[in-house]
Amino acid sequence: MSQAGKGRLNYRCPACFIRELDIDMFYDKDKAEYYCLRCPFTGTEEEVKKLNQMARFRYKCLKQRITNFD
Amino acid sequence: MGKFILNIIHRPEMVPEYAEKVTGQGKKQDISRKSLLTESLDIFKLQQQIAHEHGFRTTIQMTYASLFNDEAIQLAKQHHQQFGDEIALTLLGLPCKQFQEKYKTKDFCIWMFSAEDKRSIIDDVFGRFHESFGFFPESTGSYYLDIDSINYIKQRYPTVKCAVATCWEEGPKAYRTTNNSWYTLLDGGPWNPWIPSTANTHAPASGPADDSGIVAIPHLSRDLLACFDGNGSNFGTHPQNVLRGMIYSGDQFPYLFNLIDQYKALEKYNRGYSYNMMFVGPGWMNKMGRWEAPYELLVKSYRDGLAYYAELKKKGEIEDMTMAQFADWFRANKTYTEPCCALWKDILYGSQKQLFWYCDPYMRACLDMNQGGALVDLRPYVAKLHWPVGIGTAHVHDASYPFLVQSMYRAGYFTHYVGEGAIKSCKLSYEGEEADLCLCRTKARYSEKGNARILTLDPVEIEFGTLKLKLVSTFTFVEATGEITISRMISAMSRPDAVVHLNEYLTACYGTTEYPEDMTGIVLKGTGRDATKEIAYKYKCREETVAGARRVEALVPQIHTRVAMLPLQGEFEGYIREGYAFSPMFTLGLTSNLSNNQEIITCLKLEKAD
Repeated sequence: MSQAGKGRLNYRCPACFIRELDIDMFYDKDKAEYYCLRCPFTGTEEEVKKLNQMARFRYKCLKQRITNFD
Repeated sequence: MGKFILNIIHRPEMVPEYAEKVTGQGKKQDISRKSLLTESLDIFKLQQQIAHEHGFRTTIQMTYASLFNDEAIQLAKQHHQQFGDEIALTLLGLPCKQFQEKYKTKDFCIWMFSAEDKRSIIDDVFGRFHESFGFFPESTGSYYLDIDSINYIKQRYPTVKCAVATCWEEGPKAYRTTNNSWYTLLDGGPWNPWIPSTANTHAPASGPADDSGIVAIPHLSRDLLACFDGNGSNFGTHPQNVLRGMIYSGDQFPYLFNLIDQYKALEKYNRGYSYNMMFVGPGWMNKMGRWEAPYELLVKSYRDGLAYYAELKKKGEIEDMTMAQFADWFRANKTYTEPCCALWKDILYGSQKQLFWYCDPYMRACLDMNQGGALVDLRPYVAKLHWPVGIGTAHVHDASYPFLVQSMYRAGYFTHYVGEGAIKSCKLSYEGEEADLCLCRTKARYSEKGNARILTLDPVEIEFGTLKLKLVSTFTFVEATGEITISRMISAMSRPDAVVHLNEYLTACYGTTEYPEDMTGIVLKGTGRDATKEIAYKYKCREETVAGARRVEALVPQIHTRVAMLPLQGEFEGYIREGYAFSPMFTLGLTSNLSNNQEIITCLKLEKAD
């Protein structure tokens, strides 16, 4: 295969994001998948998007407007 | 209504730190690429346009690179005339062809240069600014401005009155998040504006004698809970940081607005004053997008952020100022010793958790109400530690103000089943059972009395096998003393004649990172009614007690600090405990018996040790 490059967007590794690491992923066009240079994660764009959504599980107030700060 | 002040700052960076790597992927590095320069200036123009559409005055921080660009200079002049923007000068944005050829380096953080280079660069940048505008700026800044640079700037360019001087809690956590490659190790500073002392940027001045001459503002207004245990660059008044943290839903950013609103609410703890700053570098709005956020979303987040500020402005709830205007306001309305306080509530994770932050020229401290009011962070500003940073010093990168307690970095209550972690808490025991207040979740209420800031915690329930009780804790921070007084009182007991044993303790160490430092040289001392005991730290796991305790203390010469615990009300036994290699901590403690409705009071005191 030829060298990897960036995909349409500059996706980060969702497995590393969840452990608070911002690691750019690279795109293997032959396999049509993103992969992480640091950990063994590989995934399609669709999988990455789904996992990014899952990574938000910690943010229970993500959609709330809060007005009481006491 | 309080006074909520906003600084909006833009910089024409020309070669944004992130953009070259991102937009240039797959190309040979070339920071003079015309497309990069054009795009950078376009982003700056867009940011300015959005701010002006809402009627905001901005502070334009010219970069070194932009001082070689006629269009950027003309734009600044025009916006100053037309909109009242302040033309200032940042020490960010050094990278450009001219800089790299002149200084033969790719370094770009002013605090990391050698002392000699710092002075040369500062003179070069200020000189070029003067050539371009015919005056010296009133405001400057960087991600961090070390005190030696601040003192030099103030001496050579006395017009400077305001500077962006630190990124709150951007330290080891941010370093790790960036795959250990972004060297902003800047923990331990104030979260809101302050006047730096002439000894250390992070430590506020005590009075005119150690006033550095500038008002410092933090880079962004950051979430005081999320940033304490997370990447500082995800949780601030920087719309694209919020995208970085994936804290948005679709194209909506309620968390950003909650964060702004909570900052506004801090007026309750600061005599009607609250503050916000937004400072987004152009690299965060580049056309290639930023990570998984496309350009359109980056721009929308910026538009939405400023639109929210505009909404507050329309309601008369926020006042925008330039940096220099703010410095004048701050000098006119704040004293050196007036503390900055924040009873901060979790607005993201849904935990209801509260942290209380206190900062004055003598200390920065944090209490965690989820751990019964345990002290989880303590920085002894009283030492006014001179801590030179940059090439040629003992700290090339590490600009953090050292801690005595940092429970995230040094374990706190929970260790991996051996040893102790850094925390200040209290244990109660009865008939062979023991309970630590760290396991009692509670809430706090804030009040003031004279120059004291008082935090009263809701009673916590302690349940032993044959006894139940309620304990009330009150923490009093007296302005400009370096002291926290701690009251413990049993407000109810299932057996009113019972007597419990109380152990008020501090387990501490020193450092700026997660990794242990050498404790050799620390001296522990207990002074009692009849005897004084000492332990010179040698990792030998020793402990000494003194009856009729007057004081237990630790001298930590590495950070020129003495920390002591003193009884103020009640009869105590004192103890001092050395750690061992697998538990590199020391513990100071005061123990006493406590009955129903009895109050005992102790004091935690920080002193400078020369």
